[in-house]
Amino acid sequence: MYRVLKWSAVWFLICFVLFLAACGERAEQTEKEDVIHVVTTIAQIGEPLSVIGGDRVQVESLMGPSVDPHLYNPTQSDMARVDEADIIFYNGLNLEANMTDMFQQLGASKPVLAVGEVIPEEALLKDEQGAIDPHIWFDIDLWKQALDQAVEELKTYAPEDKNFFEKNKSEYFERLDELKKEAEKLREIPESRRILVTAHDAFGYFGRMHQMEVIGLQGLSTEDEIGVSDINDTIAIIKEHQVPAIFVETSINQDSIKAVIEGAANEGADVKLGGELFSDAMGDPNTEEGTYIGMYRHNVNTIYDALQGGID
Amino acid sequence: MESAILIAENVSASYRKNTVLHNVNFKVNQGTLTGIIGPNGAGKSTLIKTLLDLHPRLSGSVTFFQQPFKKAKKRIGYVPQRGSVDWDFPTNALDVVTMGLYGEIGWFKFPSRKHKEKAYEALKKVGMADYADRQISQLSGGQQQRIFLARALVQNADLYFMDEPLAGVDAQTERAIMFILQELKRNGKTVMVVHHDLQTVADYFDHVLLLNRTVIGHGKTEEIFTKENIGKTYGGNMRWLIGEEEKNVVPSYH
Amino acid sequence: MWSLLITSNTQWVFFSTMMLGIAAGVIGCLSYWKRQNLMSDALSHAALPGVVIAFLLIGEKNLLVLVIGAAVSAIIGAFSIQWITTWSRISEDAAMGMILAVFYGLGIMLLTIANRSFGGNQSGLDSFIYGQAASMVKSDVMTMLVLAFVVLLVVFLAYKEWKIFLFDPQFAKGIGLSIRGMSILYTSVLVIAIVIGIQAVGVILMAALLIIPAVSARYWTQSFRMMLMLSALFGGVSGLFGTLISATGKSLPTGPFIVVVAAAIFIISLILGKEQGVLLHYFQLRMQRKKANAIGTKERSIT
Repeated sequence: MYRVLKWSAVWFLICFVLFLAACGERAEQTEKEDVIHVVTTIAQIGEPLSVIGGDRVQVESLMGPSVDPHLYNPTQSDMARVDEADIIFYNGLNLEANMTDMFQQLGASKPVLAVGEVIPEEALLKDEQGAIDPHIWFDIDLWKQALDQAVEELKTYAPEDKNFFEKNKSEYFERLDELKKEAEKLREIPESRRILVTAHDAFGYFGRMHQMEVIGLQGLSTEDEIGVSDINDTIAIIKEHQVPAIFVETSINQDSIKAVIEGAANEGADVKLGGELFSDAMGDPNTEEGTYIGMYRHNVNTIYDALQGGID
Repeated sequence: MESAILIAENVSASYRKNTVLHNVNFKVNQGTLTGIIGPNGAGKSTLIKTLLDLHPRLSGSVTFFQQPFKKAKKRIGYVPQRGSVDWDFPTNALDVVTMGLYGEIGWFKFPSRKHKEKAYEALKKVGMADYADRQISQLSGGQQQRIFLARALVQNADLYFMDEPLAGVDAQTERAIMFILQELKRNGKTVMVVHHDLQTVADYFDHVLLLNRTVIGHGKTEEIFTKENIGKTYGGNMRWLIGEEEKNVVPSYH
Repeated sequence: MWSLLITSNTQWVFFSTMMLGIAAGVIGCLSYWKRQNLMSDALSHAALPGVVIAFLLIGEKNLLVLVIGAAVSAIIGAFSIQWITTWSRISEDAAMGMILAVFYGLGIMLLTIANRSFGGNQSGLDSFIYGQAASMVKSDVMTMLVLAFVVLLVVFLAYKEWKIFLFDPQFAKGIGLSIRGMSILYTSVLVIAIVIGIQAVGVILMAALLIIPAVSARYWTQSFRMMLMLSALFGGVSGLFGTLISATGKSLPTGPFIVVVAAAIFIISLILGKEQGVLLHYFQLRMQRKKANAIGTKERSIT
């Protein structure tokens, strides 16, 4: 009986290996199409590029809604997509912490650009330990610089479309300028209440741009576990400044913010849950919040309504 | 008046893939002190465990006092092999003996002073009264055996099974244990003992059950414990020491 | 600083972890004598796939459903270990190691799928692994209190039954105790504690609380009752002081500090323990050597 088992195992193994090889073959047989295959990590890069690139590009973002890029580990299918890509864009500055090695290796065989790393260092924010804050997409000006560089890369790759890209980029950047104007309403919030408390330190650039004080329960990266002192400190600040509302994020566990709210209530500071913000990830691709501009607008409105409207 | 208080018919049992007992038939009368004798692997421990429903019985039937084991449980006491327990467990001698009374005490109740006194009496009987508070991990082999015995005695059973109670004990303990067994018999109790030392069989037991996977012979020692039967039980060649009678028999394992 | 120590959140966290520590300490004691401490670790890890599957089925974080999923998964793990040990030649600890690794791996795989689905990260499934002890709130205190109460009740009521079940199960069976019943009770209490614990403090911390306090208690006593109480004490103290210490520093994670306190208690027990501590052995040996030498010289001087 054991002999039968042994031979079956061998056959099975052979078939399995052949199957894998066949799968690999198929992947390589996709014809070279006319469009530029662009693969990005976060959709904040991908979505604007799909608008600017129009029908000349096909953009895929590896990290969908509610995915946390700090903790994200690439899967086999991600590797396959990256392999097929013509150009790769990622944020860099240690946002996609588990993928840096992979991108460095890929840089040898195809254009790979860390859009965040084109920003001059003086413009970047650092935390107390000197680590660079990677959440640059919240500063619209910095993001324009990053996207600009990405478009230059597209132009280099497909020089015949140079003008097409340039035109689209200008239009898009105009819409970004309008967005900036819209966001100015945040300055209406009285300074004493212009405090943004969220689950992690993702909004540093947002705060700098709109002159808000920003407090994150966790630090720059969601990798660390929070301690009860983090919660206590946050509640102390809420009490001190009478912050009317704090916010959860779509890509992070809500429990800690809820614990802050409950704790603050117990200490006499009635802070409300202001709503959900998009921090590291954007919304569903088929919705308004799935676009960079829509996402940003959602954040601005949610924050404005909660903090300004908090004045009864 | 002799009556059969234990009847085993066509009992068989297996262990993993091997048949360890088959076609085991015997009847035990009240007031007897029986030695269960056989070579290693003969199924002696398995026999006791099978009789007491601690090991699955493949066939046949067993009745105690004309009842199935479940109904007669309270009248039966069991002293297992010493090695079957973790002697590191944090408890003292008196506590272990008190465990024999748990059936009597009942669920969710605590042992009363009366129970503790009974346990203490049993310890006295086996000569371990001074060790009542001693941690069992600090007791010698013979002492551990004695408290196991006390635990069985405290149950005040009518039929006792003991698995190698004299294995690895000192001479004094052996004498003490045999004295107690003799006393039990005098009081009308029945005792069955798995025993390993052929030299002492005739001195200790009035009945023997020769076992090697099946019953080779069972009955009064003077009738059954013969050279021929011993030879059949142990197989192979036997080395007989010159000068003495069948008593001095040593199985030879070449 | 004192006011920081006794904030509401700090209190909720230390009460919860204290109760959990007490419950885990007591159960850990039972596991210790059943020689199945690894089982606690294995079951804690085995609960993970159940949590994720429950989430994938329901689509949102309903704590009750997740906990049920965890329990089912852990029980399947327990059965698998039993089955492997009974029907194959693999030893119990190898079986436990296998189930631990396989179930946990399955859980991680499912977790990555869940985290890519909408709402996955928000639901905090990750916290089942590492725990978020710091986020415990008043309802958690109630839950842990009930858990501790139930565990203590079960152990107290059936105290002598536990003793005999752990010491000599064969004899227990002989006098009418249902060994199967006790085993089921033990596994049930263990699984319930594990699933309630891991949703608050994570797999790793839960396994630590189930093992370390019991082992530490062993070094101080030769009485089963005392060991149960000390184990509960050590578990509770680990929760309490782990939380307080993490509350004093800036951004010190609470869960790991609880483990550190438990480990510190263990090391102290190992060295100073009254019963089998290393230091005690050393001094006892020295004293005995002195005595032996003194007698020797005395005898030599006499002759």
